[in-house]
Amino acid sequence: MPDQPAAPSRPSVLRLSPACDLGEVRVAVQTAHGFLAREGWSDDDLTSFDLALVEACNNAVKYSGPSGRNQPVGLEIISEPGGVEFRIHDHTPGFDWPEKVKLPPPDSERGRGLYLITTLMDSARYYRGRDGNLLIMRKSRLVAAQSKPTVATEAAANPDRRLAEDERVIGEMVEELSSCYESLAAIFRYSAEQGRGGDPAEFARRMLRDLLLIVEGGWFVLRLVPKGESRLVVLVASDALELPPLLFPASGHAPDSAELEAALTRKRVWFGIQQAPHAKGPLGKQRPGSVGVVHPIVLGDQLIGTLAVGRQPRPRQSSADNDLAFTAGQMNVIATFGDFLAIQIANAHFQEEQFRQRLMTHELEIANKIQRSLLLGDLPQVRGFRLAGFCRSAREVGGDFYDVLTINEHSVLLIIADVMGKGIPAALFAASLRTLLRAAPELTGRPGALLSRVNSLLFPELSGVDMFITAQLACLDADARRITLASAGHCPVAVADRGVVRTFAPEGMPLGVVADTQYHEESVELPPDCTALLYTDGLTEARNARGEQFGDQRLMEWLARAAGTGRGPEALKEELALELARHQANTVLNDDQTFLIVSG
Amino acid sequence: MKMQIEGETLRVSDLKELGTANSNEFRDQARAALSPLQRNIEVDLSQTTFIDSCGLGALISLHKTACSRNGMVRLVNPTPGVQQILELTRMHRIFEIVRN
Repeated sequence: MPDQPAAPSRPSVLRLSPACDLGEVRVAVQTAHGFLAREGWSDDDLTSFDLALVEACNNAVKYSGPSGRNQPVGLEIISEPGGVEFRIHDHTPGFDWPEKVKLPPPDSERGRGLYLITTLMDSARYYRGRDGNLLIMRKSRLVAAQSKPTVATEAAANPDRRLAEDERVIGEMVEELSSCYESLAAIFRYSAEQGRGGDPAEFARRMLRDLLLIVEGGWFVLRLVPKGESRLVVLVASDALELPPLLFPASGHAPDSAELEAALTRKRVWFGIQQAPHAKGPLGKQRPGSVGVVHPIVLGDQLIGTLAVGRQPRPRQSSADNDLAFTAGQMNVIATFGDFLAIQIANAHFQEEQFRQRLMTHELEIANKIQRSLLLGDLPQVRGFRLAGFCRSAREVGGDFYDVLTINEHSVLLIIADVMGKGIPAALFAASLRTLLRAAPELTGRPGALLSRVNSLLFPELSGVDMFITAQLACLDADARRITLASAGHCPVAVADRGVVRTFAPEGMPLGVVADTQYHEESVELPPDCTALLYTDGLTEARNARGEQFGDQRLMEWLARAAGTGRGPEALKEELALELARHQANTVLNDDQTFLIVSG
Repeated sequence: MKMQIEGETLRVSDLKELGTANSNEFRDQARAALSPLQRNIEVDLSQTTFIDSCGLGALISLHKTACSRNGMVRLVNPTPGVQQILELTRMHRIFEIVRN
């Protein structure tokens, strides 16, 4: 009994078990006919199914042995929207299904059954078992729908035409298969070369020469879009031709150039005799009479370039030949090579980028070392006072620095500066400022005059790039126990004495803001056993994970507390650095932090 | 199945099927109906909706019989389904197919 019809999207199955008898299997085939008719198969298909089933079932009956005659023939039909499968279980001794089923000689009265099965079905496979055998026949509905009119009409008019059509289709399939194989083989071959480095252009040239052999091409031109540019530049061409770059037109249309058209539309563009407008374009001029295709090379949504492959047109062999320069299989190979090259080129760019990045990081490391070496390891000391300095950059190089210049045996000039911004530009100005400050020994005892001098020297460069520097100069006279301050818009100097912190901030514009600026000096008497702190705003503006600044108050409170312990400036430096690190736990340092501590 | 003799020709008609179940009978009856006077066999396939390899074998067998009498087998008005099978198996080249 047939199964209940299933939902349309699920396969419908009919199982029958006719006795091993020609009449019985004929009835079963008629039942199958009704089932498949309800499944929506066309009359032509049903005729084919009837015949194939009859042939299969008849064989199952006619060749059954003594024991097989007592067993039914198993018949299972699975119908799906896309096709149908027939499974015929027989109990015969079985036979060897011929590799190629041929039509017997015209006068033979037998031997047409298998031929009919294989001709009417898309596929037929025979599996031999110990107790029985299984024949599976399949037919696709789509193929059936397309092929039937051909059989019914064209074949009736000219059966040889159908044979020729079949041979043509098979020929195309074979060609496509072999082109797939050749693509794969080439890609494996070139994949093996991957990672060996070498010149990408040479790699592409070798690969594309192979492509010409495979697709019977005459020439190729591979153009790339340089990063950030809107033009196509030749990377390699099959021979040494002077091929100028092709600029993307502002209009977005390139009627004369097949390559630009392929790049702009990101679609394959055929060119040749039929495509007259392209004959006026660069390819047409350089390759007159050629036919071919330009394949856009795209990776993701990025246009990498174009691959043009062409050849001289071949004489048309038959009316079936179309005007395209390459067959579908050859086009597949061209597209596969193009896509593979896209990956290679993108990889090469990526590696180059990474190399540049590594180089940049390496250079920055060197710059960092140089900058660190500029910060004095052992600060010059002056009798009665001890000094310690700290500098931490948010990046490899920074714009903060401190310096201590000896004026005479009892005086030193303390310098702390902060160049606006971070990174290399800031570091360059920091280095310049340091050099300029050291280059005027006659002014080291006069901090106001020194600031005026360096401001006038640095102003053109700083204002040219809209940058500025804040700096604090403090001339410490140990004998007089006095510091003379001059500030270019910098943070105040804090002096702690017996738990009390006073700050001193002489007025002054940052360097690079006004061309001629006079910097006033302010003298501060230093009581015995005091501690002075010169710092940059990276300390007070350091933010914790909740976004709160370290702040002036916290810094001053720390200074008041720490200075009273009587510990030396080195110990205080370590402690302040630790305080700052604690405050900024779980965050990234976002500004340079620099300070100088003077105790005495 | 009907058999009718007209001069040198044996006409066979009213065949619903020509398959395993009846092809031997068809062949044997047709042969039996032939007297020494008939050398041609005309098979009317206008009512035949189904033919299989055994049916084709029977037609070949009759073709040989006719040839041995210097005659021929003529297939008359095959239905489209049968015509298709005849073409698939290239048998339309052996038999004369007549459409009235």
